[in-house]
Amino acid sequence: METVLTLILLPAVASVSVAVFPFVRVQYILITAVFAMLSMAVLSFYTSTDVLTLHLSYTLNECIIAADIVLLLYFLYQGIKLNSFKVILLAAVQLLLYGYAESVAPAGGSAEIIVDDLSRFMFLIINIVGGIIVLYSVRYMEDEPSSPFKKRLFISGLLLFLSVMNVTVCANSLLLFFFLFEMTTLASYQLIAFRNDEISRTNALRALWMNQIGGVVILLAALVAINSFGTLMFDTLLEHSGGMVLFSVALLSMAALVKGASIPFDGWLLGAMVAPTPVSAMLHSATMVKIAPYLILKLAPALGATLLGGVVSVTGALVFVAASYLALSRSVFKEILGYSTVALLGLMMALAAIGTKESMMLAMVLILFHALSKALLFLAAGVLEKQYHLKNIEEMSAMVHRAPKTVGFILLGFVSLTLPPFGLFMGKLFAITSVASLLRERPLLLIVLLGIIIGSALLVLLYFKVSSALLAHPSDTVQTEDERIPYGFGIPLALLSVLIIGAAAGFIMIQRDVMLVLFAFPLLFVFALPSIVRGMERYDRTGPYHCGEKEPFDAALVYYEPSVTLKQAIYWGFGILFVAVAFVGALS
Amino acid sequence: MTWIWILLAPLLGGLLYGGERVLRARMQRRQGPPLLQPFYDMFKLLDKRTLIVHAPHALLAVAHFFVLWFTVAAIFLGWNLLYIIFLHLFAQMLLILAGYSVRSPYSHLGANRELLMLIAYEPVLILVAVGFYLLSGSFEITEIMRGGNYLFQMPLLFAALLMIVPIKVKKSPFDVGEAHQEIVGGVEIEYSGVFYEFLYMSRFLEYLFIYSFVFIFGGVSCWLGSVLAAGVFLLVNLVDNATARVRTAQMVKIIYAMAMSLAVVNLLWMLV
Repeated sequence: METVLTLILLPAVASVSVAVFPFVRVQYILITAVFAMLSMAVLSFYTSTDVLTLHLSYTLNECIIAADIVLLLYFLYQGIKLNSFKVILLAAVQLLLYGYAESVAPAGGSAEIIVDDLSRFMFLIINIVGGIIVLYSVRYMEDEPSSPFKKRLFISGLLLFLSVMNVTVCANSLLLFFFLFEMTTLASYQLIAFRNDEISRTNALRALWMNQIGGVVILLAALVAINSFGTLMFDTLLEHSGGMVLFSVALLSMAALVKGASIPFDGWLLGAMVAPTPVSAMLHSATMVKIAPYLILKLAPALGATLLGGVVSVTGALVFVAASYLALSRSVFKEILGYSTVALLGLMMALAAIGTKESMMLAMVLILFHALSKALLFLAAGVLEKQYHLKNIEEMSAMVHRAPKTVGFILLGFVSLTLPPFGLFMGKLFAITSVASLLRERPLLLIVLLGIIIGSALLVLLYFKVSSALLAHPSDTVQTEDERIPYGFGIPLALLSVLIIGAAAGFIMIQRDVMLVLFAFPLLFVFALPSIVRGMERYDRTGPYHCGEKEPFDAALVYYEPSVTLKQAIYWGFGILFVAVAFVGALS
Repeated sequence: MTWIWILLAPLLGGLLYGGERVLRARMQRRQGPPLLQPFYDMFKLLDKRTLIVHAPHALLAVAHFFVLWFTVAAIFLGWNLLYIIFLHLFAQMLLILAGYSVRSPYSHLGANRELLMLIAYEPVLILVAVGFYLLSGSFEITEIMRGGNYLFQMPLLFAALLMIVPIKVKKSPFDVGEAHQEIVGGVEIEYSGVFYEFLYMSRFLEYLFIYSFVFIFGGVSCWLGSVLAAGVFLLVNLVDNATARVRTAQMVKIIYAMAMSLAVVNLLWMLV
């Protein structure tokens, strides 16, 4: 239990200290120490497999209720201040529902905090990946044009967010979970608006009201649970089967779809890309949006073989395809990463909702490897943004020449998301096998299978389209520039790369399948590359063929834009699916 | 025995390629090259002065060839069909990265087309593999080859496979990857001498790769498999002589609309 408290309190304490101490060097030391301690705490967890429980005291519960009401009033205030009708309405509905839920909530029941295997797994991602991102953000904020106090506040905000996430993934009470869900919404709102220009504020507001919908459905789920079963707790609720349980579970799945920015809610995550890069890396790809697959994994025992599980799963798989497709029309690098996050979150939810042991394991594998790879990609995008002032892939032509190391990291990110022998690829491969083995019992999963296959192909197209811009390298006759990545950027990037490769190797090893090791064989080639390249000296060099033109010219990038009608059809279709989740839950 | 076949795979593919050129010449009533022309080409290429743009670009072609050879070896050894498809994907990605790694517009255009071809045929191949899995209960080729009657249980999947064979062997109507007039050789343009030879030999292996899929449809009966492969070989060349090239985007649309629907209908029929 002490370890859990460490995970919850340590980032909070560090957050206060960062806000107080004005020296950058102190921040580095402090955050490195916190990162080391959190990693050790997380790893020490894996020595035992006990389920830890904690009852919150009466006073603490009262404090949380008070904090929650203050939070909702703050949302209401923001809505009135910024004159947003949606925010006001949703905040008011939340206040009413929350007040009512607390007044009828049964006292007692099982523990409010339960740390099980799933929570342990989420701790691993939140603290290790999150820690690396906070470390990176110190260097990132040095170049940010804002006041020193605001910069410190930013880093301390990220640390505090780690605490919140650590509680979120072990909350067992629906109302506690609601409070934490809204806290992450608040974090999203504040950090997106950090740069405080017109577009940031608009996008932050959109993120706020969309996520508030998630809050409303969680409250409705809690009310259903209280009314039908007299309980507030996830574990007690999921012990029941049939009837209203599924309605409650359906409402919670809808909250997951909102938090995972599934279409039609993808707008908030895309808008969130205007925030500083550490925010995009931490909240909008590596940790916060992972609440979506986490929640579905938690509900998976109830979703299982039901029609509701099928509908959630199909929705996820279709989001995987549609978001990958929509990403093909974008040219801002972070937006491309954002859409591919939406897509992969859809895939994770689809696998989690299938509810077999194997598919749930695969969803977790995807969560882990996606967090590592996407964090790497976002951090590398941040380096391009800060060192070279590049955000759009159209401007990144031949970047491998100017920034070979950063492009190397980006390429590793892309390859680790799509190709063997990396974890995410393995996850998709096993997902195909796993879904195929279930096809005979559940023909509905054929849609999920198609989704996995087509979505993966589209993601390959997306990532390598982007790398086509980055990679165009002039002939060897031109000297490549030497790139220096500052240590504040380089160390987090290197750490993530080592984790990606190490975790992939570990994942292959635990499969006990000799054939899989052979996937790693092409990697040997990559490691042998430098020595082979030296052996290539004896061949003569030439410039590429340009039809006799003097000035070199480049091939244009390819974009695929859906027509307006098609786009509307996609949004309406997913909107209907979203509502259908509630209906299927209510009727079954 | 299998190992000897694996070692000889590029030669075998070369013969297949040479045979195809003879066949096409006969279909067009012209003399055409001798059967061993691919090997004469090889000696000629080895004799040429090799010029490269930069080292990784040249090496990726070599890697592409060896990973493809490895893929074909995996087929001969009867391994997991899904792993084989993804090893092939990996080999193609090496080629595509090679195409992107030089600052040459034609190379980029060619790589774009290779990429689109890849996303067109890969889903179909996986669906065919799933079809085999549903009937035989395993993705291992050794297991699959013990069963029979695949052709009668999955005729539409066979038709879908038939549609993507021309993409893989670069034949009309889906020969966008080899449109010489438009993209001047595409990915291959910046290669010369020995490194071009590796790309040239990769094509032989591609032939073995795709026709193996056709052969597997014969199941336990090698006789049926061989007839199928020979029949598809004839048909593809006949269609090649009789049709014009479609555009890349049209190709992707046709494959996604027709081949995929055929595959899905067949899978549904097998499930219900």
